[in-house]
Amino acid sequence: MEACFSTETVDLNHQMPNRNQRESKYYWDELYQLIAAAGFTSVEVPYEPKWDFGGRSGIPRTLRSVTVKYGTMQKYMEEIRKNGIEKISSVHLDPSLFCQGNLKMYLGAFGHFGEEAIKFAKGAGAETIVLTASPSIYSVRKLMEGSSHGEEEFLSQTARVIDSLAEMAGEEGLKLCLKNEYWGLLRGEAVLQFLKQCRKEIYLDIDTAHLKIAGTDPAKFIAANKEKIGIVHLTDTGFTDDQEAYLQPLPEYPAKTAAKVFCDIGKGSVDLPAVLAALENAGYDKTVIYNCKDSNDVYRSLLRTRCYIQNKLSE
Amino acid sequence: MSNIKLSHMSHWKTVPYKQIDNFRDYYYEDKSNICYYQDWDRILRYHKAAGYDGIEIAPWDLNEILGLFGTPGEFTAFAKDHGIEVSGMFHGCDDSQIPEKYDEVLQAGKDAIDTLHAFGGKHLNVCPARNYYGVGPLGDEDLKNSAKVINEIGRYAVDHGIQIGLHNEFFCAVNKENHRKFLEMTDPRYVFYCLDTAQIALLGDDLLNFYDTYAERICTFHLKDTASHGEPDETRHGQDVEICDDGWRWFWEPGEGVLPLKELWELVKKHGFKGWCTVEDDGAPDYLAAMCLSSYYVKQVLGKIYE
Repeated sequence: MEACFSTETVDLNHQMPNRNQRESKYYWDELYQLIAAAGFTSVEVPYEPKWDFGGRSGIPRTLRSVTVKYGTMQKYMEEIRKNGIEKISSVHLDPSLFCQGNLKMYLGAFGHFGEEAIKFAKGAGAETIVLTASPSIYSVRKLMEGSSHGEEEFLSQTARVIDSLAEMAGEEGLKLCLKNEYWGLLRGEAVLQFLKQCRKEIYLDIDTAHLKIAGTDPAKFIAANKEKIGIVHLTDTGFTDDQEAYLQPLPEYPAKTAAKVFCDIGKGSVDLPAVLAALENAGYDKTVIYNCKDSNDVYRSLLRTRCYIQNKLSE
Repeated sequence: MSNIKLSHMSHWKTVPYKQIDNFRDYYYEDKSNICYYQDWDRILRYHKAAGYDGIEIAPWDLNEILGLFGTPGEFTAFAKDHGIEVSGMFHGCDDSQIPEKYDEVLQAGKDAIDTLHAFGGKHLNVCPARNYYGVGPLGDEDLKNSAKVINEIGRYAVDHGIQIGLHNEFFCAVNKENHRKFLEMTDPRYVFYCLDTAQIALLGDDLLNFYDTYAERICTFHLKDTASHGEPDETRHGQDVEICDDGWRWFWEPGEGVLPLKELWELVKKHGFKGWCTVEDDGAPDYLAAMCLSSYYVKQVLGKIYE
């Protein structure tokens, strides 16, 4: 299995000292060198159009940013290769940003930026495009207020958008996978039923921390769905959701008792060796993405991940 | 009673908690200073402790604020419990130069005023048109169109006890060439000016002369310093120039740059300005330190001239 490091580790959304550096190009140029120095030569890019709206093109997370700063995807890839990153293995789009206004607007934006993300992934030579299939339950319920079949209608129309994006991804030689966060309508095993609503070939993104928080054993889930595995995110958590955080407005930040939901690899309670053994038993031999989502200290997370791989896992 | 009421523009990125009650336990999860920057309760405490009486909110934070507090009124009441008022909000009057978009721009402006009114704020700082790149240069007809809709937004604002203040940034379509002209095209009964001290210098205008000339129109300040002045066209008209590739900072805390802020304050005294003065620390790597540095300068250095 090929080890990849997710740049979703870099939290751009929340306040912390020195966060301002992350909007400048120099930060990313150096970060790629440091990721390579930690032994990772492939990365995952979260596709975040949010930064386009404020002209933050120093953040290389969209087609627009890359075009503004590098000219073309090809030149961007040449630059990151110079910094030691050989490939972008996967691109992840979470459309939650657009979950406001009305369903038509949301789906329109999802489709539009989904297509952009696929073009970005194609230009980067990635193998996989990952889509978050459902924003938070709280957001969807707000969006669908007043609709008698709110969640059902939301999912059925979402399936059509995902089908359309899967067709485009297929034409571009990309595998489309669905991420099912613990705060979304498709948390845990609910994603399996949704896959049946989709008409196209769509795969699962196995995200271990999200599955565990939703009450699903990741190793058992892998064993039961091995034909549908498209990509794997090894994420860790020590969080137990005993306060229904998954229903809250900001579910990654549980309101009743503050907690850092996602932690560095090896610092939580996800049985990662068991997950890797399950993947091996399932015959999975492709990319595993290490993601210390929204890290408090990117460089420490990076080295802790490498340290864990060296000491606890055999690649 | 001070003539100057000190506020701070909220450039804190998403603040994910209303209040962290398990602060000590949360600290031990990571044993770092991150937990000091994650709840409104502490951030508002920092405002008061550092000598601020107000906060200017940002429209891009509203979704999260409303998710945490439910309504603008709940946020305002929470801030008031900390001794803090909402002084104002920023609003981008995108496409105001396009006559076909008049109704849309007017409605967006009215919506922003209604939102600010619900938060109890007084100043809606508005940026006309968009950035220069992709829009500029603006002709007289464009400026006239923009002034027309902004006058109407201003009239609605005044009717609701709010003042809109034009806010020119050095990379905006209304720029060095025409920002005075544009101000003069707007109706002084309804449209005021938020003087951003660093932006005006970066545009290449004379801060002291501008204030002295338009003191009657200036309803509030965005107070910040800069170590740059009179940026060339290729910078002001360039794409995405607000954040520099190499980490160069356009903005510094008052007193850390090169602006003649003491001389400005003599003029502020001369004109007897009374109202909100909002420190903007955008680009600072440590907002808590920047807030304190800025407040010290306003109160202990400028305050000796006029407070």
